[in-house]
Amino acid sequence: MADDTLIIYEEEINLIESLMSKMLKGAEARCALLVDKDGHLITRQGFTHSLDTTALAALLAGSFASTREIARLVGEEEFSVLFHQGKKDHIHMSLVGERSILVVIFDDRTTIGMVRLYAKEASAELARIFEQIKAKSATGVKPGISDEFADMTQDKLDDIFQD
Amino acid sequence: MVSINYSSREVCCKIVYYGPGLSGKTTNLQYVHSKVPGNTRGDLISLATEADRTLYFDFLPINIGTINGFAAKFQLYTVPGQVYYNATRKLVLRGVDGVVFVADSQPDKLDENIESLMNLQENLEEYGYNLDEMPLVIQYNKRDLPGVMSVAQLEERLNPKGWPYYEASATIGNGVFDTLKLIIKLVLDRAKSAGTRSQPASSETAGATPQPEVAAATPVMSAPTASTSRPYPTAEPEVTATSSPSASTEPSDPVATTPASPSYQEPSSVAAPKPEAADPSPVDAQATPSAATESVESSKIPEPAAQSPDDSQPASSRPFPGDREESGAKKITPIAFTPTPKESSAEVSYEKNVLKNSSADTGAAPSGSSLPGMAPPLRRRSVSRKRGFFKRLFGIK
Repeated sequence: MADDTLIIYEEEINLIESLMSKMLKGAEARCALLVDKDGHLITRQGFTHSLDTTALAALLAGSFASTREIARLVGEEEFSVLFHQGKKDHIHMSLVGERSILVVIFDDRTTIGMVRLYAKEASAELARIFEQIKAKSATGVKPGISDEFADMTQDKLDDIFQD
Repeated sequence: MVSINYSSREVCCKIVYYGPGLSGKTTNLQYVHSKVPGNTRGDLISLATEADRTLYFDFLPINIGTINGFAAKFQLYTVPGQVYYNATRKLVLRGVDGVVFVADSQPDKLDENIESLMNLQENLEEYGYNLDEMPLVIQYNKRDLPGVMSVAQLEERLNPKGWPYYEASATIGNGVFDTLKLIIKLVLDRAKSAGTRSQPASSETAGATPQPEVAAATPVMSAPTASTSRPYPTAEPEVTATSSPSASTEPSDPVATTPASPSYQEPSSVAAPKPEAADPSPVDAQATPSAATESVESSKIPEPAAQSPDDSQPASSRPFPGDREESGAKKITPIAFTPTPKESSAEVSYEKNVLKNSSADTGAAPSGSSLPGMAPPLRRRSVSRKRGFFKRLFGIK
């Protein structure tokens, strides 16, 4: 089975977050999300309080995945940048490394060019960090879940899932 | 692939409901959505056609709360069942942790079930997964309908590998939760066995049992995380967790942790600090004392700790509308260049003062101008000259 478990430790996430906030500041964008291609939210920065980031992450990953298939159908390997334009808010998505997507949500206070510029820079740096994470997890111990965690989860599920 | 985020302290699993078209995958999710308490689940998102057939996927996030300091989250997806949508169906399977195969129990659907199961195998293989290793539960759905096949028959045709199964009627909810609980159990069991040694997640909990003093540790750790276990979609925790004591105690290197001396115990048993002795990792040993004291302090006041990072977060990035800096900047602009009646009157009075002062200056030190009293002040003071220019430009008297 393909084992591509993603483990992110604090030092790495701090690095990632500082990079993202630097990018936000430079691009003057509203918020940024870092999403796994599987649809998991890795981290986020900026004004995300009003957003349902869990659902957003799943949908953005889905959107990116379908675009990737479209790319294949037209003979392209992958579209590495995706842009949704709205009336007020716009979304810029760019590929980070092999498995993550950097999503920047911005409005008319900045321009697509600025966002692209900073997102490109940040993507390259983030990709480097992810490579380090990958190298680390290749040599490190694979993560697991303790028996107690699994048991407690089962107990909690019994409480919650009642007909 | 169970995603474990040590910063936001989340364990996230992806479970996909697979099966032929109209077998009841979406109905399963709808039932779960309707029965699970609102603070436990997010919105059910359905990417469906106008006829309510799943086009891409349905998505239901479930957050069962914090367990041992980690928020357990499950993301339930369905796939479009129709053969036609194989391209999108395959995409949903990416990164799947467990599969519920929803089979239609009606005799005329048997072939579709078999075809879908084979399609599942093909699609999984494309991602490099092996169906035999994948946690899978079969759900024989629509048991309430008349004339359905017997379970023995279905088992024989669909389940030669002996996967666990449940009988269900998703519309009335029979067997829905049983199936879900079982698949989660299988997923977690698999995640357990994936860890070869005790890791951060497990060392934390494993530490609670063998060493008595760590028993006190659990509340210390759960205190800050409790504030993060807010009702669903809010899911703010990552920021909190990053600065929270529990996160700061994270091993910087997975290899450093061993089952015998989980680095987690140190910060939690702060009352009796015992740093290096038990800890094999120099990195951890160094990090521990400071992290430990932090953990006590912030655990006493979980509320502000939870809020302040959220507040400080935006400060680091550019302020959004409503921010002080922003509004201040906007106010200044019109005064300088587009004087409104009010502002212009203020400006005039300001200018009068300037003129007075400058004329006073002129008196003291007359300029080389041939027309004293008129032009000199304007010439001498660049500010007042500009004001005079705007004054003339906008016809302000």
